Amino acid sequence: MTLTNQTSKLLRISELLYLLSTAFSFYLLIASRTGEAHTVWQVLHPAFSSTLFIATFLLLTIIFTAEKTTHKLLFIIAHSILIHSLFSIIFPAGDLSGQQMAIGRTRLVFDNAVLHGWTGWRPTMPVSTFVFEMFKGINLQAALSTIFARMFNVDILYVHLFLVPVMWGAFIPVASFLTTKTLGVSENASILSSLLVSVFPYATYFGAISVPNSLGFIFFFYSLYFMLRHLSTNDSKTTYCMVIFSVFSFLSHYLTGIMSFSLLFLTLAFKTYEGEKKPSSINTRILLVVSFVVCLSLLPLSFIYLRFFQSASNAVFTLDKFHELPLREIVGLFFLGELVYGFDLKTILLVIAGPMLALLWMICQLYRLKRNPDDKSRIRIYFLFTAFLITLVDYRILKLFMSGLPINEERLWVFSDFIAAPFVAVAIFAVLSSFKTFLKSKSPSTMAFAGLKPLSKGDVFRVLSLLLAINVLIPVLLSGWITLSLSAAYPRVAPLQTTWYELEAVRNIEDNTPERYVVIGDIWTTYAGEVVVGISNPRAYYFTELSKIGHELFANMTQDPSSKSMLQAMNMTGTDTTVAYFIITEPRVGTVEYNRVIQQAQQNGLPTYPGGIYYYKGEEKLRIFYYKKSTD
Amino acid sequence: MIGSIQLHKLERFITNDSHFLATLISCTLIFTIYVNLSAIQSFAIGIIAFVLYFMINAIFLAQAFFEKEDAFSSLMFGALLLIMLLGFVGLLVMIIHNLDVPMFTMVLLTTTTISSLSNRRMKNKSDTH
Repeated sequence: MTLTNQTSKLLRISELLYLLSTAFSFYLLIASRTGEAHTVWQVLHPAFSSTLFIATFLLLTIIFTAEKTTHKLLFIIAHSILIHSLFSIIFPAGDLSGQQMAIGRTRLVFDNAVLHGWTGWRPTMPVSTFVFEMFKGINLQAALSTIFARMFNVDILYVHLFLVPVMWGAFIPVASFLTTKTLGVSENASILSSLLVSVFPYATYFGAISVPNSLGFIFFFYSLYFMLRHLSTNDSKTTYCMVIFSVFSFLSHYLTGIMSFSLLFLTLAFKTYEGEKKPSSINTRILLVVSFVVCLSLLPLSFIYLRFFQSASNAVFTLDKFHELPLREIVGLFFLGELVYGFDLKTILLVIAGPMLALLWMICQLYRLKRNPDDKSRIRIYFLFTAFLITLVDYRILKLFMSGLPINEERLWVFSDFIAAPFVAVAIFAVLSSFKTFLKSKSPSTMAFAGLKPLSKGDVFRVLSLLLAINVLIPVLLSGWITLSLSAAYPRVAPLQTTWYELEAVRNIEDNTPERYVVIGDIWTTYAGEVVVGISNPRAYYFTELSKIGHELFANMTQDPSSKSMLQAMNMTGTDTTVAYFIITEPRVGTVEYNRVIQQAQQNGLPTYPGGIYYYKGEEKLRIFYYKKSTD
Repeated sequence: MIGSIQLHKLERFITNDSHFLATLISCTLIFTIYVNLSAIQSFAIGIIAFVLYFMINAIFLAQAFFEKEDAFSSLMFGALLLIMLLGFVGLLVMIIHNLDVPMFTMVLLTTTTISSLSNRRMKNKSDTH
């Protein structure tokens, strides 16, 4: 399709405006960067949402033109990186917990503080657990982050924070585009799906945090694409890619790995079914149903067998929830999962709108395929529908019939979101196409060609309304949907994120302590320590997040801040530690408790570390005490 | 248009890899990254070397495994495959010992060797056909 000069000029102007608004959105994110906040919404620049809305609107107008597909995808990648970078740009150490636990382990690899990766090795560990731990996703992510950090010659923190947002932003839209293309729809519908992956809040959240599970989701989506391709081709490269991406999905995280392999078996079953001479025979149908049940049960069963490799796993099948919870809650959990617990209606709607629309469109497609059995994309639509059903049923099994799972079941939403995105795009595009067909049938040239009467006033009104709907209303609605989805993707309630002064305190200790040292602090101090020196680093020791000893030591120190607990901590590290630090932070314990602990520590003669008092906006926020073991 | 032709020429230069020139450039870049890490410590040099290294090896892999795809998809697949290869080789090296600067350089060299050989193998195959 060629563009006329005038359209081409208009397109270039929209592209320029889009690039400017995206760059401005990035600038607003940088301007929102803060040293102390609970959520991104607390500090996000008020103009960010409207700028993002304008950028998305412009992007949608570009998508519906005849611009080159490559250019459109590049624009979508920039947009996708933007909306997944909120945590990494705004918070000094990214989102709290999972992401910082990952950097805690990665930091040790980067600083050569451990050999053979992070295995949490101890002499009593069984060999199977040791091998499982060695090939766990955290090690793959640690290797990747370390390689990139060394290539760029930057600190691992920056690479770690942006690894997933950038990889997700670059590769997930392309995966969605390619997956939608396999359904035999137009290029523009496929492009739309690559943008619409952003309307799924759970997917957006996982694209914003650098954890092994997020890496696994990326590889899972590509394995899904190659599975769809495998259904219609016998190319050996496609088969290899399907297996390689599934293996990488497993190496990144067992959840995504098991899901990839479940769908891989399902693909093979569909392929066998399609290859049968009489696919309608009862035997082949039974085989397909059995395969479906097997693939469905792989994920729940894998959690049970995980205990052979991971001692912390206690997953069991149980009916306890049916005995303990009221019927209303059970029904709520069945339909909405954790959304029943205190989420507002807007968030619930934003989370379920995409999957619901996709499910409805899938059912429409299945009905259409019944009347059109020779459709080329038939088998792929059936496959995706079955895969979607597997994610829905597995989620309900994990939620209602299992307990003691090592992960949050809500992660399964991301799988269904990936499968739903192409169908949402196709559904929206089908509505647009029907509008366009109507418009074409009513256009003056068509009327003239068909020798029909000119349009009545009512028809003119209808045509104008449709024109408005296509060119303005639908892009506005979609931009609004994407912008609003962000509010459901990024939490509105959260603990205080790792603050600027916590990081500075940890850095100060690290820069000025030549001896081996141990730090006693709350879990938030541990997270800050993980960012700077890693977890359980023999030279700069922080107790792990779940360490009972670490928690007890901190509790003892707040009860009676004295050198006794600090000496105890030095003996717990297993190395020749000669200095101990105690960090207390005002926003974490409250002003009254903070002042009491400081007063008591001073009464007990515990010295404050030189330069160890931190102020934020004129108020004292953090204090470091220290104790040095006498070497005489 | 001119930019697109230049890019196409560059892609052909890399995939042809005549006298292993592109592979040699990639090895020189690894040496540059090593020297930068050990002595110079410049972020700018790191970025430039990374972009060039990434481009050469991603194109190698794209040509080797996804030559039938359109240019953009092929490059994206090549980039993803390169990340996976770097991650996998890095993981193995890390499990065997660790990922200090010399070992990291070995990871880059191994990845370049695998990418270059895959490209050459595919090129020879298509030349025979």
